[in-house]
Amino acid sequence: MQRTDSSGPGDIVLRCRDIERSFGGLKALKAVNLEIRKGEILGLVGPNGSGKTTMVNVITGFYPPERGTVTLFGENITRKRPHAIAARRMARTFQNLALFRGLSVLDNILLGRHVHMRPSAIATLFYWVWALREETRHRRVVEEIIDFMQLQDIRNEPVEVVPLGLQKRVELARALAAEPKLLVLDEPMAGMNQEEKEYITRFILDARDERDVSILLIEHHMDVVTAICDRMQVLSYGETIAEGKPREAIADPRVISAYLGQRAAKRQAGAGAAA
Amino acid sequence: MLYRQAGIRHRRYAAERQLWPLTFDRVLVGGVVLFLLAAPFTLDRLYLGSYLLPWLLWSSAALGLNLLMGGAGQIHLGYGAVMAIGAYTSVHLVRSGIPFELALVLAGMTSAALGIVFGAAALRVKGLYLAMSTLAMQYIIDFTISHVPGISGGTQASLQVPRVTLLGMPVTGEVTPYYVALGLCAVITLFMLNVGRTSFGRALAAIREKDYAAEIIGVGTFKYKLLAFWVSSFIGGVVGAVLAVCYLRIVTPDQFHLDLSIQLVAMVIVGGLGSVLGSFFGAALILFAPIFFNNAIGTLATQFGLGISTDLRSHIPLMLYGALIILFLLVEPLGLAKIYDNVRKYFLVWPFRHVRK
Ligand SMILES: Nc1ncnc2c1ncn2[C@@H]1O[C@H](COP(=O)(O)OP(=O)(O)OP(=O)(O)O)[C@@H](O)[C@H]1O
Ligand SMILES: [Mg+2]
Repeated sequence: MQRTDSSGPGDIVLRCRDIERSFGGLKALKAVNLEIRKGEILGLVGPNGSGKTTMVNVITGFYPPERGTVTLFGENITRKRPHAIAARRMARTFQNLALFRGLSVLDNILLGRHVHMRPSAIATLFYWVWALREETRHRRVVEEIIDFMQLQDIRNEPVEVVPLGLQKRVELARALAAEPKLLVLDEPMAGMNQEEKEYITRFILDARDERDVSILLIEHHMDVVTAICDRMQVLSYGETIAEGKPREAIADPRVISAYLGQRAAKRQAGAGAAA
Repeated sequence: MLYRQAGIRHRRYAAERQLWPLTFDRVLVGGVVLFLLAAPFTLDRLYLGSYLLPWLLWSSAALGLNLLMGGAGQIHLGYGAVMAIGAYTSVHLVRSGIPFELALVLAGMTSAALGIVFGAAALRVKGLYLAMSTLAMQYIIDFTISHVPGISGGTQASLQVPRVTLLGMPVTGEVTPYYVALGLCAVITLFMLNVGRTSFGRALAAIREKDYAAEIIGVGTFKYKLLAFWVSSFIGGVVGAVLAVCYLRIVTPDQFHLDLSIQLVAMVIVGGLGSVLGSFFGAALILFAPIFFNNAIGTLATQFGLGISTDLRSHIPLMLYGALIILFLLVEPLGLAKIYDNVRKYFLVWPFRHVRK
C-alpha cells in the first residue's frame, strides 16, 4: 500500500504554504502547511470545527486565504476561481451533498465530464451533427464509472429520490467522471453503515490504484483513515498538531488530548444539560 | 401495444437519448406536425391568421423565456422589451433596404447584446433583485422607444412594416407569414428539446440547481449565466422581429409593454418551468382563455337576457382568467405539462397501476 516510496519527493501534487483564513474574529486556519504527493492518500483529521472543511474550501478556491499560497502541479492557484481550478484536474465531494436535484443520476455524473466537453448553443441546435458524437463518447466513459461504482440500477432515477448512502456514491462518481488527478473527499462516509463504508473504502482504494489519482481524504471514522491512508495530518483549532504515518500520528499525545479534550468537553456539556 | 415501454431494448446510447422513444409519442408528434403543415389548406384563413399564427409566435417566445427561467433558473420580467428591441431593429433595417434574412439575425444580435447588459445583473443578484433589474430593463427600453421619435416612428409613434421577402418568397397574405412562423417555431422547439440532452443544457441546469456545486465541476457560473441571457435574448429578438413582420405589420411601442412580459412569464409558469410542451400549453391558455371567456360571457348575457353592465362584462373574463391561473398554481404548481405527463403515465402503465412512479 505504501506507494509513496516508489515516487520521489519531487512528485508533489499539491502544496499549501502558511494558509491563514478567519471568519470574523475566529481564526479557522493558522499558518497551515499541507502537501500531497503523487499517488498518495493523505488523511486530514481533527475534532469538529478544527478547520478541515475550511482547508478544503481554500484548496478548491471557494474561500481565498488571507495569507499563504496554494500550488497545484507547480502552478500557483491561490486566487483562482473554483471552476478554473476544476479545469486543472481537481475534483471534490462535499460534506453535505451537493448533487443537482431534478436531474437524473446519469445526468449528474455526466456533468462531471463538463471539463472535458465543449458545450455550446450551436452544437445543441445541430445536435445530430455536432453534439451526438461527443455525447456518446462521454457517455461511454460515464457508463464505465457507473459500472465501477455499481450504480447501474439507479442511473435513470432522479437523484433526489435515491437513498442518502447512494447519493454519496453518486457524488463520488461525479467527481471521478472528471478523471481528476487530485481528488478531495470531505467525509465521504458520513452517516453510512458498516457495509456502505466498506464499499466506499474499496472504491477509494481502487480509484487510487486504477485511475492514478492522489487523494485528500477527510474522515471521522478513524478505523478507515488508519487503514487506507499513507500519511495523516491532524488539525486542531486551525493548527497542525501532528502528521506522519497514521498509527504514529494518532498515538501522538497532543492528538490524544485534542480528541480527549473534545470528549471531556462533551461530557461536561452533557452533564450540564442533565443538571 | 403502441403505448408501452416494456420490451424496448436500446442497443445504442444515441437510441436511448432520442427525443421520442415511444411509438405512441412519435405518432402523436407526427400527427401534430402534419396538421400544422396542412393547416393553410384545411383551416379557415381567419383561424390561421388570428389563432394559429399568434399561438406559434407566443409559444416561440415562451420557449425562449423558458430557456432562461426553467433552464437556467433566472427570472426575467422584461422579456417583452427584449422582443421590442428585436422588432424595432428588424423593422428599421428592412425599411432601410437590408434583406429580411440579415435583419432577422441582426435583430437577434441586438437583443442579445442589450439583454446581456441587463442580464449582467444576474451575476451579482438573485431572485427578487434580478426580477427588479429586469423590470428596470422593461421600463428603460419602453421609455427609450417611445421618447425617441427616430425609433418609434415620429409623432404617430407607429411604424409600417414594408413588404419583405424571405428566401425569395414575398411574405404577404396569410400563408407565407404562417409558414415563416412555423419554421421559426420548429427551429426553436428543436433547440429547446436538445437542450435537455446536451452538455450545454446540463451546465445551465447545474447553475439553476446549485451554483457552488456547478463551479466545482468546472461550470463557470458567470459565463453560463451570461450565455443563458445571450441565447434567450437572441431568441426573443428573432421572435420579436418575426412577430412584427408577419403578424403586427404596424409596430407601436405599447405592443411590447409590461403586459406582454407578464403574459410570457405566466405562460412559462402555467405551462411548466423548463418544459417544451408546457410552453405551447401555456401560450394557448394565456392567449385564448380571455377570448373564450369573453365569448362565453357574451353569449350567456344575450341568450338569457341578463342585464350585465358592459363594464362588468369586460371585467368578468379577466377575473375568471386570473382565478384560472391561481387555480392552476394551487392544484399543479408544475404546470400544464405535468398534468399531461400524469395522464400519459397513467395510460403508459395501464392496467398495471402499481408500477406507476
Ligand atoms: N462560512 C463560515 N462562516 C463563519 N464561520 C465559519 C464558516 N465556515 C467555517 N466556519 C468556522 O470555522 C471553524 C472551522 O470549521 P470547519 O467547517 O472547517 O471545521 P471542520 O473541521 O470541517 O469540522 P467538521 O468535522 O464538523 O466538519 C468552525 O469554528 C466554523 O464555525
Ligand atoms: Mg467539515
